[in-house]
Amino acid sequence: MKGFTLWFTGLSGSGKSTLAQAIEPVLLERGVMVEILDGDEVRTNLSKGLGFSKEDRDTNVRRIGFVANLLSRNEVVAITAAISPYKSVRDEIRARTANFVEVYTECSIEKLTERDPKGLYKKALAGEIANFTGVSDPYEAPENAEIVVNTEQESLEESLDKIVRSLELMGLIPPGEDNHTSPEEEVVIRERLQALGYL
Amino acid sequence: MGLLERLAADGVMPNIAARIEAGHLRSMRASLPEISSVSWTSFMTGANPGTHGIFGFTDLNPGTYALEFPDFSRVEVPTLWDRLGRRGLQSIVLNQPSTYPARTIPGVLVSGFVAIDLSRSVKPLKWLGTLRRQDYRIDVDTARARGDHDWLFQDLEYTLQSRAAALGRLWQEEDWDYLQVVITGTDRLYHYLWDAVVDPTHPRHEQAIDYHRQVDRFVGQVWSRFADESDDPESHFWMLSDHGFCAIEQEVQLNALLRETGHLRLGSGATELADIERETQAFALDPSRLYVHSQGRFARGSVSAEKRAAVKRELADALHALRYHGRPVIRDVLDAADLYEGPCAEHGPDLVALAHPGFDLKASPTASEVFSRTDLVGMHTWDDAFLLAPYPIEGEELWIGDIAAHLEREFEH
Ligand SMILES: Nc1ncnc2c1ncn2[C@@H]1O[C@H](COP(=O)(O)OP(=O)(O)OP(=O)(O)O)[C@@H](O)[C@H]1O
Ligand SMILES: [Mg+2]
Repeated sequence: MKGFTLWFTGLSGSGKSTLAQAIEPVLLERGVMVEILDGDEVRTNLSKGLGFSKEDRDTNVRRIGFVANLLSRNEVVAITAAISPYKSVRDEIRARTANFVEVYTECSIEKLTERDPKGLYKKALAGEIANFTGVSDPYEAPENAEIVVNTEQESLEESLDKIVRSLELMGLIPPGEDNHTSPEEEVVIRERLQALGYL
Repeated sequence: MGLLERLAADGVMPNIAARIEAGHLRSMRASLPEISSVSWTSFMTGANPGTHGIFGFTDLNPGTYALEFPDFSRVEVPTLWDRLGRRGLQSIVLNQPSTYPARTIPGVLVSGFVAIDLSRSVKPLKWLGTLRRQDYRIDVDTARARGDHDWLFQDLEYTLQSRAAALGRLWQEEDWDYLQVVITGTDRLYHYLWDAVVDPTHPRHEQAIDYHRQVDRFVGQVWSRFADESDDPESHFWMLSDHGFCAIEQEVQLNALLRETGHLRLGSGATELADIERETQAFALDPSRLYVHSQGRFARGSVSAEKRAAVKRELADALHALRYHGRPVIRDVLDAADLYEGPCAEHGPDLVALAHPGFDLKASPTASEVFSRTDLVGMHTWDDAFLLAPYPIEGEELWIGDIAAHLEREFEH
């Protein structure tokens, strides 16, 4: 099985973490190993001490990219869920990373302001937060992302399905199976039963 | 005295001896047929095969006559663990045969035989990584071990150790109310080397006995950990087997018999029951299931509803008449109507044969001789599975499907 990097990019609240969590069990089920690089765990370990200036954000994203590449070249699926607003940095990581799959979680500022569970958009729009991506800091949307999900129009299940299906089509994960033994498994079952004297 | 008691009394299995001393040991019946897929499914559902739908390792597709391998997805009735879950109780179930592909239970399930891919044998999946890192083994490599007994013993030991390691982690990290682990190594050993177990002059006798020491140590570890953590461990500790074992004297091929009696007609050169001819009146599926080739049930079925009872009688007569050096082979022929009850019963066999110990019933479609021997030396027996319960359970007809209700009752107070 090949490793790959599933790189989510999108505004805060657009669904990166939600989709990263949702896809993990699906991938495990398909027999791949998975690591999620997201949120507090990255900020408190890998990127401890970094702030939210452009330079620090770029460093944070580059570090995540570095680790994701180490994982994916060792047959692990690395899932990242940083906003990663700058196209140049993402492309730099793409160039270095084996099997880089960019997923853009598209969602309008209006919708995000409506979701706004932590009230951050309201504060940012009121000018209370400097360097807030999409409001007081730029977000450069990808032009050639392998996968685009519109989390404003799609349900979580629809977005998840789209990503899983795309990965199947790219040949990065085996096709989904239901809860039944497969024809290949039945060949093995036959052998095992014969080894115990049946058939 | 059965093997378990003998090994306990001889000091080979001192931990089990202590458990026998403290509990109530008796024999009980396995399912019919007495094979693990049927017996274990009866155990875990507490239901009759007519209700849970598993009658063997195989079924014949009534349209295409292809051999099918019914899996856990076919079991639509709740398991013991599902029912405990409804009371808010969590189970750890390790190496349960006939639960592949694993499905979510309230707690953790690791499937046993015929589980293939570990990633489809573990629920929830968060346990997959740990088990992989521990090099958890579902089963010994039976295909190799059958012919390579040095390997068999190595693999038995390794598999048991990996099972113990996995159990240790699950026990430590999961909250549980009911914990269950199945040891399948003894079954493999007995199929291949039953003679070594029971014959002290067999060159592998010591090795075979030593494996029982390992199993006993494992039981001892489970017991002492349980005893440490439980207020009243003796009242809640159970052991059982899904069938008994004895030596094979002859393998008995039922389809060869049905060819001799003219009930089964296979085209010349046929390798599968898929080549069955329309004139066929009956066929057998492993190990001891007999099916009337009924119209309306099978695509090429030729036995009308009116003739069915007569064909069943002929089959029973032929089986009862079967002799090996003058001795009867078949102890009983049971009518499915008396054996199976529930919505799935119509998918089961019409008759099930029960052989005298020593006669191992088989249903290879191609075997030409009724009696033969292979390298296999041990076979399952029906009415001497063991049960070690914390209280005496009466009843001559006690069978493995009765135990789930007892286990569930433990949680009522
Ligand atoms: N199709 C969808 N895909 C993902 N999330 C969705 C979708 N539709 C609605 N949502 C909701 O959007 C919210 C996304 O929040 P989430 O924390 O995943 O965003 P995020 O991109 O990780 O933000 P941040 O960059 O701040 O960590 C969740 O509340 C989720 O339920
Ligand atoms: Mg997030």
